[in-house]
Amino acid sequence: MNAWGDDRVTVGRYGPIAIVPFAAAAGLFSVATARHDPVWAFAGASTLGGIAELGAAWALVGAGVLFWMRHRQNRLAPLLIGAGFAWLLPEWTDPQVGSALAFTVGLVGFVACAPLVAHAALAYPTGRLRTRVHVAVVATSYAGALLSLGLLPTTVFDPKAAGCFQCPQNLALIRGDLELFATFNRYGLWLGIGWLLVLCVLLVWRLVRTVHVAAVVAALVPAIVYVALVTWEFQHSLTRGILGNDSFDQRVWRSEAAALGAFALAVVWGLVRERQARATVARLVVELGEMPRPGAVRDALAQTLGDAELELAYRRPDTGHYVDGLGRVVNVRPGRDQAVTPLFRGGVPVAVLVHDARLSDEPGLLEEVLAAARIAVENEQLQAEIRAQLEDLRASRARIVETGDAERRRLERNLHDGAQQLLVALSYDLRIAQAHVEADVGSELTTLLTSAGETAQSALGELRELAHGIYPAILAEAGLEAALATLADEAPLPVELGGTTPERYSEPIESAAYRTVVEGIDDAAGRGATYVSVDVGREESRLIVTLRDDGADRTSPLVHLADRIGALGGSLEVGGTTLRAVVPCV
Amino acid sequence: MRVVVADDVMLTREGIVRLLEDAGIDVVAEAEEADGLLRHVRLARPDAAIVDIRMPPTHTDEGLVAAQRIRAEHPEVGVLVLSQYVEPSYAMRLLEEHPERVGYLLKERVFDVAILVDALRRIADGESVIDPTIVSRLVGRRRREDPLAELTEREREVLSLVAEGLSNKGIAHRLFITERTVEAHVKQIFLKLRLAAEPESHRRVLAVLAHLRASAY
Repeated sequence: MNAWGDDRVTVGRYGPIAIVPFAAAAGLFSVATARHDPVWAFAGASTLGGIAELGAAWALVGAGVLFWMRHRQNRLAPLLIGAGFAWLLPEWTDPQVGSALAFTVGLVGFVACAPLVAHAALAYPTGRLRTRVHVAVVATSYAGALLSLGLLPTTVFDPKAAGCFQCPQNLALIRGDLELFATFNRYGLWLGIGWLLVLCVLLVWRLVRTVHVAAVVAALVPAIVYVALVTWEFQHSLTRGILGNDSFDQRVWRSEAAALGAFALAVVWGLVRERQARATVARLVVELGEMPRPGAVRDALAQTLGDAELELAYRRPDTGHYVDGLGRVVNVRPGRDQAVTPLFRGGVPVAVLVHDARLSDEPGLLEEVLAAARIAVENEQLQAEIRAQLEDLRASRARIVETGDAERRRLERNLHDGAQQLLVALSYDLRIAQAHVEADVGSELTTLLTSAGETAQSALGELRELAHGIYPAILAEAGLEAALATLADEAPLPVELGGTTPERYSEPIESAAYRTVVEGIDDAAGRGATYVSVDVGREESRLIVTLRDDGADRTSPLVHLADRIGALGGSLEVGGTTLRAVVPCV
Repeated sequence: MRVVVADDVMLTREGIVRLLEDAGIDVVAEAEEADGLLRHVRLARPDAAIVDIRMPPTHTDEGLVAAQRIRAEHPEVGVLVLSQYVEPSYAMRLLEEHPERVGYLLKERVFDVAILVDALRRIADGESVIDPTIVSRLVGRRRREDPLAELTEREREVLSLVAEGLSNKGIAHRLFITERTVEAHVKQIFLKLRLAAEPESHRRVLAVLAHLRASAY
């Protein structure tokens, strides 16, 4: 099922109302005919009969028109309207009907109402038949009603030959043959009982399957009663060999009218429920305000549809990934009893709704609710996309920082394992050479070797400082606490380590916290501070680094540091003599 | 004296071995990584093992871990860790579990073979050895209210030597004073620094280092 697929509607919303005058005219015409010649009529001259006639027909047409106004693409509306008109047709076979056309249409469509109602009930509320079996049975019942009990007998029915001299002309007559007419009718009735029973079974089966959806039950029960009553009437007519209007038929006919009225009311009730759901969600959407918090649309939908497990995922146009309201990537995996409804904008999928599969059985509920939430959903989709893009950017920033850190670390290792080892080896060799020379006289060569050894020593010292500055190995190996302690040992001004954390964090977080302290100390020293106090601590899922000093007020915004912290989704608060970095950690 | 040398870089290992041999120390085995080192220690039962802090496979602190294992499994074997890091944390980690017969020296310190030999002797005697660079960094650390300021010049000297792991006897020898004078200085230092009563001699190195490192000044 596609929500928001009805984009191409161009006919005005109230177009279907044009049907109403025709229905009114057809109803009044039928009642007038019945009253004029009550002997041949179902409604007869009684008020009750008139109410049954008009009530059922107008209720069906009215429900159809309302349904059509709400669901323009849904094929249910024509079925309901057709059933309303078909309900009137038996009266048109009255000899006094006064119109050959009406008479002929009445003969052909005498029992057309039953398959139309059964079709509508089976297809309620989507307007589509669910299975091939349904399609086959409905097609058979149309054929049974319109051909074997409609057109075929009509083509051989000559009213005058049958003794009806007031009857209008039968326009469909080909060759009058009363015997064949009787035969067609007899077989048509037997056949009719067959397809009517099968329709009953299908409707009851559908009722059992959908018993959890009140609106569907409300529509199916009267439809089943109606089809059962028609079946009974057929069975009653078997002995007579033809459908008629004896007193039993008339009583059944009135009951059928009541069932059809109830069916039409159930359809209208379903529409009201849809509107209520839509109004609820519309109210919620309004309450969301102009800047709803992320995920609010999902919550509103879940509340309105009464589905706590409901998920709303937005599709990212460029990657095709799905994200939640916060822009985080999510996997769309419907559970066993869940269904997925994609939402479209201009034919392009923008989101999917994962919901309780039973919601699909509710007449139009999902569509109504989604229609009401449409603007909010589209709005949140755009916001989710922006958030997702921001998250992409942040992730790419974090990767750049991480790559830089990894590179520094590699450099540090190379210095230690390469140059430094060689210098150590060189200084050992120099020492050994010196020992050998000392055995001789000493003098200039000894002095030279001693000096070379000292140079190698200071080169080693400088190299060690350089490597440590590039990346402190202790940070990766022993964590923040040890690295900060060493930092305090070496600092050019007193560094007071308040709270520290022996806990280990991911490398990027430890690096960021360490850099914050390094740059904070440098900055404080530059502003003439006489001490810096450093606090590192965890508050829930955030690592917080706070620095305070007594130097002059800061003028530099420490942009590089802010970038580094920002890359981790954290924030850097730069005060005059305070610095506070907050980094989210798991 | 019999020692085992472990260093994964052949050049530096050979250098150390030659320096040691020239100084008359018997190098009974050489190892390139921690497992080989442990095997040699088990088989050769040396007086001490000289261990590079960085060894395969991760080149981080394998040497330190091996040192702790040797001290735990062979208490009679001393361990001297050679490191390229001026990191008190590593030195203190080494002292924490087995405070005697261990040493932490910077690699280039070994350049002066006398220092190396002296360190090995002290380790064999049951002392511990902490690189003077580390100690001087801790002592020279910038503090807001420096309790070390209360110490006299001589007391500072004694404090540094205590932190380097020297025994009172060693300090007396180094400073050309009597052991009794050293004891008096140490007592005075502990008093002035408000350190708890002087712990057992081999524990006092760690206590002093931790105190110097503490940041509550």
